[in-house]
Amino acid sequence: MSEGAPTAAETRRIAEEARDRVRFEEEALELSDQVFRVARRLVNSREEAEDLVQDTYARAFRSWQQYQPGTNLRAWLLRILTNLNIDKGRRQQRTPDLQPLEEGDYFLYNRLESTMPDENPDEERVIERLSQNSVVDALAEVPHDFRDVLVLVDIGEFSYAEAAQILDIPVGTVMSRLHRGRRILKQKLAEKTVSV
Amino acid sequence: MGVRVMGCGCGDCEEMMQPYMDKVLSDEQMREAQEHLEACPPCEKRYHFEESLRRYVRVAVDEPISAELQAKLAGLRSAD
Repeated sequence: MSEGAPTAAETRRIAEEARDRVRFEEEALELSDQVFRVARRLVNSREEAEDLVQDTYARAFRSWQQYQPGTNLRAWLLRILTNLNIDKGRRQQRTPDLQPLEEGDYFLYNRLESTMPDENPDEERVIERLSQNSVVDALAEVPHDFRDVLVLVDIGEFSYAEAAQILDIPVGTVMSRLHRGRRILKQKLAEKTVSV
Repeated sequence: MGVRVMGCGCGDCEEMMQPYMDKVLSDEQMREAQEHLEACPPCEKRYHFEESLRRYVRVAVDEPISAELQAKLAGLRSAD
C-alpha cells in the first residue's frame, strides 16, 4: 500500500485497469445474445433464462479480473451461468441417471418414414413432419444432465472440450451424455410426432 | 425394390453415426464409415437426415434476447 499521492506508474496502472475493464464489459455485452440463446434452453422458461443471464452478468462484471484475456469469453460466461443454475437448486429435481428405454440412432427416421405414404421419401420431407413446437417441447423434456451437454454442443456450438470445462466434467462424460441426450431427444420427438 | 428398408442391418453403421458426424473418428474408422455409406443408400439417407435434424433443431429452438434485457445488462456495467 502506498502513502500519499500516487506515483506516475500507479496512475498509469489504474488507468490501464479501467481501460481493460471497459473492454471486458463491452466484449461480454456483445456476447449477451449468444449467452441468452444457450441459457434459454438450459432452463424451462424465458423469465428464468432472463434472471439467470442477469445474475451471470452481474457476477461476471464483479469478478472480471478472474477472466484470462485471450481465452474463450463465451465459455467463461457460460461456466458462471451453469454454476449459478446449479446453485439455484436445480439439481434437487435431478432425474435419475437411467432412462427407461433408449432407442438407437436411426429410431426417429424410421418412425417418421414409416408414417409416410411414399416409399423411400426425401430426407427433407421426412424432417418437415416435425413441428417447431414439438422440437421445443421435446428438448425441454430431455433430463438436465443430458440437456446441458446437448444445448452447449448442438445449440451453443461449443467443442467437447469447452463443454467439459463449462460443466466441470470429463470429456468422456460429455461424449456419452451427448450421445444419449441426442437419442433421448429423438425418442421424445418420435413420441410427439408419431402417435401409434 | 418395394421393400421399406429399415437401415442396412449393420449396427456398426448406426453406432458410428454420432462420432462420424462429430468428426471424432480415427482416419481409418472415418474411411470405413465413408466406404460403408457410399455402398449403403439407406444408411446414407439416415446420416443426411441426422445432419438436417441438427440444423432444424437449432433453428426451431432459437429465441433471441430482448432489447429490455440487453439494456438491463448494459446497466450493470461499472463504467460511466
